[in-house]
Amino acid sequence: MDERYETEIIRDVLQGNMQRFEKLVREYQGPVFNLMFRTVNDDNVAADLAQETFFKAYSRLETFDTTKRFFPWLYSIGLNVARDHLRSRGRDFHVYMENPSVMYRDDGVRDEQTMVEERLDGGKMLEFIQQMAPKYREALLLRFKHGLSMKEIGEALDITVSGAKMRVSRGLDIVREEFGEVSDAS
Amino acid sequence: MPHRHNGDPLDANIMEQIRNMPERPVPADFSARVMSGLQPKKPSAWMRFKLWLTKPRSFTFTPLQAAPALACALVLLVFGFYQMQGPSPENGVRLTSVRFVMDDAGKQATSVSVIGSFNDWKTEESSMWYDQKNGKWVLEAKLPPGDHEYVFLVDGNRLVPDPQAAMTRDDGFGNKNSILFVNGDHEQHI
Repeated sequence: MDERYETEIIRDVLQGNMQRFEKLVREYQGPVFNLMFRTVNDDNVAADLAQETFFKAYSRLETFDTTKRFFPWLYSIGLNVARDHLRSRGRDFHVYMENPSVMYRDDGVRDEQTMVEERLDGGKMLEFIQQMAPKYREALLLRFKHGLSMKEIGEALDITVSGAKMRVSRGLDIVREEFGEVSDAS
Repeated sequence: MPHRHNGDPLDANIMEQIRNMPERPVPADFSARVMSGLQPKKPSAWMRFKLWLTKPRSFTFTPLQAAPALACALVLLVFGFYQMQGPSPENGVRLTSVRFVMDDAGKQATSVSVIGSFNDWKTEESSMWYDQKNGKWVLEAKLPPGDHEYVFLVDGNRLVPDPQAAMTRDDGFGNKNSILFVNGDHEQHI
């Protein structure tokens, strides 16, 4: 979503036009819901937590800095909601995920053998990434899936820019260490 | 760990996997559920003013239209420059000389400091000196306008309100703080 358009929506919401908030919900419900699903591996609980995230974002919208992008701010709220949920159940911010090889998406242009191999390899790597410590996994997702800058990743994870760089770099290293040999041999 | 760069096939593969990570479909009624739980905001007067102030605006002008405004700005700049030729305030705030005095004819105390709201209640920079001739502890300071709370710290362990202060205020811990009003450019004696 265009940043200026997003700011315009937020200004409208702050002036009492609540319905405009639905644009933001529809735009970001996917990443927020998936963050929660990665955390709890349950559709219903994930939906509740994602809903709570948007409620909190709405109630705190007056504190949002409109010179910045909405998504990192929303994501940081979501991470806190996820942490609070797990803490309330005496659990760590851990990962639960269904078999990623089943969920692997292909574009349908490769031959069947290649697709099977890629599904297996991709599935393994995806499974590994899904099961990484959340602080590295979320940094990698924010960088390479959602295209956030290091500064925005820092905002989302509530860490410094150098901390964000370290998280992404370390996250990549962890995946490389696991899959380096296989990849180098191929 | 060998150094890798963005052109590395493994790195490219990792990034590709993350970029194409499958997404769990969001429940169909999710946004409706969220919206049904919200109440419209009632912006305060301050929020309305803030939004008005920060509203992006676009405007056009021609050099001929801008000339009067530029002339006014120039006049204000020159006027402002001459206004600033007087005594320069410190950090933009005009400070007033203040003299703290505590009577101690027989020099009963061995050290006295002034601690207050103007020095964050620290003793290090506000030690008083003893005036032998007049039998008083003295400290001169420069303070910004406003009311300041202070107290004398005698021998590092005893708090004594200034008996010459016009007003005192309860500090909430059973002691009285003296109040000093600073409101002019001239020296004030306490």
